[in-house]
Amino acid sequence: MKLSELEHAPASATASLHNGHGDGAVVATNGHASSSRGAPAGSHLHNTPLFDSSTIDRHEFVRLMIQALRDTGYPESAASLEAESGYALEAPHVAAFRRAVLDGAWDDAVGTLEHIGLADAEDLRATRFLLSQQKYLELLEQQEVAPALLVLRGELAPYSIDQEKLHSLSSLMMCASAHDLRERAKWDGAAGTSRRRLLQHVQTYIPASVMLPPRRLPALLEQARAHQRRQCLYHTRNVTISLLEDHVCSRADFPVLTTHILAEHEDEVWHVQWSHDGRSLASASKDRNAIIWSIGPETGPAERECNVDKVLRDHDSPVTALAWSLDDSILLTSSEMVIKMWNAKTGVCIRELKKHDEPVSSLVYLPDGAGFVSGGMDRKIIIWDNDGSIRDAWPLAPIRVCDLTVSPDGNRLVAVGLLRSSESATGSNSSLPLGAAGSNGVGNTQPTPATSPKRKIVVYDLKTRQELNVIEVIGELTSVRVSRDSRYAIINHAPDEVHLWDLQSGRLARKFTGQRQGQHIIRSCFGGDEDSFVLSGSEDGNVYVWHRDTGVLLEVLAGHGEGSVNSVGWNPREPALFASCSDDHTIRIWEAPPPGIPDFDRERERERERIRALVAASEDIDGLTIGTGGKGKGRSA
Amino acid sequence: MGMTFREYLAGSRIFGCQKCRTHLATIELMLSRAFTGQHGRAYLFDHVVNITIGEQSERQMTTGRHIVRDIHCIKCNTLLGWKYDHAYEESQKYKENKFILERNLLCDVQ
Repeated sequence: MKLSELEHAPASATASLHNGHGDGAVVATNGHASSSRGAPAGSHLHNTPLFDSSTIDRHEFVRLMIQALRDTGYPESAASLEAESGYALEAPHVAAFRRAVLDGAWDDAVGTLEHIGLADAEDLRATRFLLSQQKYLELLEQQEVAPALLVLRGELAPYSIDQEKLHSLSSLMMCASAHDLRERAKWDGAAGTSRRRLLQHVQTYIPASVMLPPRRLPALLEQARAHQRRQCLYHTRNVTISLLEDHVCSRADFPVLTTHILAEHEDEVWHVQWSHDGRSLASASKDRNAIIWSIGPETGPAERECNVDKVLRDHDSPVTALAWSLDDSILLTSSEMVIKMWNAKTGVCIRELKKHDEPVSSLVYLPDGAGFVSGGMDRKIIIWDNDGSIRDAWPLAPIRVCDLTVSPDGNRLVAVGLLRSSESATGSNSSLPLGAAGSNGVGNTQPTPATSPKRKIVVYDLKTRQELNVIEVIGELTSVRVSRDSRYAIINHAPDEVHLWDLQSGRLARKFTGQRQGQHIIRSCFGGDEDSFVLSGSEDGNVYVWHRDTGVLLEVLAGHGEGSVNSVGWNPREPALFASCSDDHTIRIWEAPPPGIPDFDRERERERERIRALVAASEDIDGLTIGTGGKGKGRSA
Repeated sequence: MGMTFREYLAGSRIFGCQKCRTHLATIELMLSRAFTGQHGRAYLFDHVVNITIGEQSERQMTTGRHIVRDIHCIKCNTLLGWKYDHAYEESQKYKENKFILERNLLCDVQ
């Protein structure tokens, strides 16, 4: 928890004085016994439900409100609420305890601790130790060595169960100055935040029913917001979620409509890649050209201009890989074994790089802009400088690289591909290829998975070139992308699956199914502001869109013609715009339908209706779900 | 029909196209060395990858009449040999759906 979330701003320290001390009526009627002045006006509500069928406890709810009022600068309203409801935020001795800790009155603190009633002896011991530790450090800080020694011997030693901790504490006796002490103890002194930190630490041993965790109501509301954000299947708008209504993004705001068809290539389009500024789209085609398209900034699909900017010719073979430099001034293309470096503004080829001995499958710029990486079927992984000189040629990879990428944090390089030849030379049938035999017209050979070559995912430490993780899988791997937070990789996996890997744990987190993929290089991408979506091409000619955290298949978008949708790319700047490319020679731009299309307007209204109905039907469930949620950052993956 | 990479084979010895080194077959897939093609010695393979297959044609071979198709390297289009579709003589049926590659057009690759 951040320091800023620590308990009680200075104003509330005085406010807590009210808590049992300020108003005699409140103390006397603190939920225990009625005073001579009669019960508070609201006490008849005690033990009644908050509302009909509400599962929220009235006492808890009112305490949250009292705390929230106090924390937000309304101590008088808080006191009024305490008086009217007859509930106190906390019992008088809790307030006294808090006061004592913040004032450094250690004997008082220990004294009131007795009344708080820690049931568990071990919790009591740990709490006593923490209090004495603070007391000891503060004495040392004041250069009161003799009393500190007494604390060490008389309190810390008996309450400690960790000899090492005790030794390190006693070694602090040798500190030359208060400054030295604070440095070595990593402690910011009596005048710093240390007493509040102590209070927060101690709080973990005290039941929340006795001593409320700090800023509890805002914490719950943040959880509610995070929950709604996660539940929003079509979340494309980067908006602050209001607490006043349930948040939802409508499907009508999702890019489900083809707004432009880019038809300039004369053969299959195999890959698309957006520039970092989102204004240019590069496409790679079997027609041996790459095209840079300018995609206008206009927001209305009708007004948006999409035009051919540059056609990059002179490739001897189909173009397979694309990469934009970080400033979008350079576009890299690969065709067979040759990498070409193009000036994206002029469309002039600046350099040809011929260091691969087999087709180059993948190109990606380093996140720090210091150069780029190429990977090939020759198992080479090469790090290049921006001027096209080799900076680092890695030892041959254990796989023929079908695709690779670098995590945005610059720590990992993830490569996918086929097992190295000699390693799988076992039986006479070990070399039978999977799938593509049919496409080459060779015949009907259908090797079983056991006889097909193994595939691997290799995760490298980019800086040390060490293999951090090698995962062997069965089935063709054709594409890999890493999420913006560098944690997840999506990998296309034939047949018919896209896999989400957690790179931290090295585990398969989720499988997305529905799309068709058997023989071809099909690629996927993340989409949405927080990579909430996974999109993939498919051999059935559709674009598939899933919700990443639930695996729900959101959309199967038809439109492309005969053949595969080979690759997809979500625009890095627009909230809801992506491109797909297909064997049908075209690229499609997908956007949210503009207002005024009757079908989608009706859909918007239906969506609102659906949400109203959901809300009406599930108030209790929402209350429970929000209240019992995790820290607000938990994810289902 | 969609993007593919060429096949890469695994085996103790890999035969590639002499002109462009594209992988074609492995020693494990070889059935016989005792064939003769237009350029001398030729090998019979159970399976060959990275090739395009031509139209059917009927040819008179030393071992009788067969229906065959020419096979070409998928990358450089070199004529590499042929595939047997049909053998008229019972004793030659074993060749059906098998492939001939001419030794002089092959090279060892990795």
